[in-house]
Amino acid sequence: MDLAFLVTQALNALQAGMLLFLLSSGLALIFGVLQVINFAHGAFYMLGAYVGLTGLALTGRFWLAVPLAVLVVGAVGALVERAFIRRLYGADPLAQALLTFGLLLVLDEGVKWLWGPQIRSLPTPEALRGTIALLGVSYPAYRLLVVAVGGVAAVTLWLFLERSRLGAILRAGVSDRQMVAALGINLGVLFAFTFGLGAGLAAFGGVMAGPIASAYPGMGVEVLIKAFIVVVIGGLGSLKGAAVGSLLIGVAETFGQALAPDWAMVAVYAVMVAVLLWRPTGMFGAEAAT
Amino acid sequence: MRSARLAAGAAAALFLAAPLVLPPYPLGLLLETCLFALFAMSLDLLVGWAGLVSLGHAAAFGLGGYTLALLTLHGGVSLLPALAGALLLAAAWAALTGALCVRGRGVGFLMLTLAFAQLLHTVAYKWTSVTGGSNGLAGIPRPPLALGPLGTLPVQGETAFYFVALTAAAAGGLLLHRVGRSPVGHILQGIRVNEARMRALGYPVVRYKVAALTLAGALAALAGALHAAYTGYVSPESLDWVSSGEVLIMVLLGGTGTLLGPVVGAGIFLFLREGVSTLTEHWMLYLGALFMACVLLFPQGVVGVLRGRRA
Repeated sequence: MDLAFLVTQALNALQAGMLLFLLSSGLALIFGVLQVINFAHGAFYMLGAYVGLTGLALTGRFWLAVPLAVLVVGAVGALVERAFIRRLYGADPLAQALLTFGLLLVLDEGVKWLWGPQIRSLPTPEALRGTIALLGVSYPAYRLLVVAVGGVAAVTLWLFLERSRLGAILRAGVSDRQMVAALGINLGVLFAFTFGLGAGLAAFGGVMAGPIASAYPGMGVEVLIKAFIVVVIGGLGSLKGAAVGSLLIGVAETFGQALAPDWAMVAVYAVMVAVLLWRPTGMFGAEAAT
Repeated sequence: MRSARLAAGAAAALFLAAPLVLPPYPLGLLLETCLFALFAMSLDLLVGWAGLVSLGHAAAFGLGGYTLALLTLHGGVSLLPALAGALLLAAAWAALTGALCVRGRGVGFLMLTLAFAQLLHTVAYKWTSVTGGSNGLAGIPRPPLALGPLGTLPVQGETAFYFVALTAAAAGGLLLHRVGRSPVGHILQGIRVNEARMRALGYPVVRYKVAALTLAGALAALAGALHAAYTGYVSPESLDWVSSGEVLIMVLLGGTGTLLGPVVGAGIFLFLREGVSTLTEHWMLYLGALFMACVLLFPQGVVGVLRGRRA
């Protein structure tokens, strides 16, 4: 195990963690504010890749396809919240999980219908096809961009939540939604916005992952489990937890894959079991009120 | 309650008379319904009584299937010892992992059950020399029902095996019904409603939860073992998280905490999936839309809504 190997794997882990963060931050937000376990979140990730594919075909520019995918899927998310999820607030949380599970099936199959069942690949943008020399290894430029974009997204999201008025309202929604409603804030709009933002983040992850892993129906389900794991070990509804958890799972999976490819997912589950046995509410979760 | 008993009686009569009137194909579907009903009822003990929402319940189902497959393929044992082996192994697994899983609550518990189930899935997927890997194990015989000095019953025929499945489901359902109404059932319900109070009252909450997980795991393994014997096939898909999700859907569709609900849910799920998948290649889309409609229209489950109306 030489240094170049370690550096390459560490960069891979960082990049995997960043993609995972885009997905799991939305999941954490939705859980934190709406208290909905969103099984359809992986479907938004997949939808992001496919809308990106169509956007690329229409505009011919990756830089236009990415925001297009984020906006379209974000709007779909907000619509879904208004049309369906909204009707189940206050019902059994399981009912919402079942609803989003149904939505997952619909979106998965809908994508197969609209785009066809075959594996599609999003071409890497022309300018980023090369490699960049870094710390003694040459690393694909596009993957470095993913790391950078993920980092920028994390900081932006943090600034938005901590420094903006809307972010403050969202955080207030996480800690006490009744109080927020009592202060005269329109919870309906807030919830639709949160769900849309979460869906948009997932789509962002999906379209950025497109050139690295190809797009295929069912891609969302695979990645969803990992995102769930991230959110649970990070602490439900905690954005900081989603960030740390993403990196942890990225590392566990990448090094697992490099050292024992067959058992990479076992490493991921092992990390999760270890964290949950150490802290049942996750690394940054509030202590369970019992 | 009287009408519930009447409904149960009518259902029993229908299930008993089914082999006389049904052609083989729908009878096979009904047989699967019996097994999935047992699987779903065992999950209902966890979800509807103890409030333990597991997303790894298929682990016990699949473990039962693999155990029976290995025992009959390599050991050539008859039905009862094969089932006993499946039950014991799954109960041990459920008790062991359950003791760890109950450290988490709510979604934490759900994710831990998922993790252990996926761990088992990975083992089934990768340990090719024993489990056949992604191909699974095929050609599992339906073992005869050896009753010691009473002789051996050949239950390999479709109709005979239907009665085996029906008996298992009925026995399992009756056991769960008795447990549900016993003091233990009430304690489990108490844990679901207010765990802190139950602990303050001095109940060993963790022990009750693990006991419920163990019983539910054993019954799920019974269903899984019989399913493997019926289809002659067991694959890693039988214990992955989609299977766990499907059985959870059956329970929720029918209504939690009712036992009858999961039976109805299993029936609706299997017959709809079969019906829609013959009509269109995009059956998943319609199935998904149907789940969404069901949740929006009957958030308490089909049986829950019917009961609510009557009350």
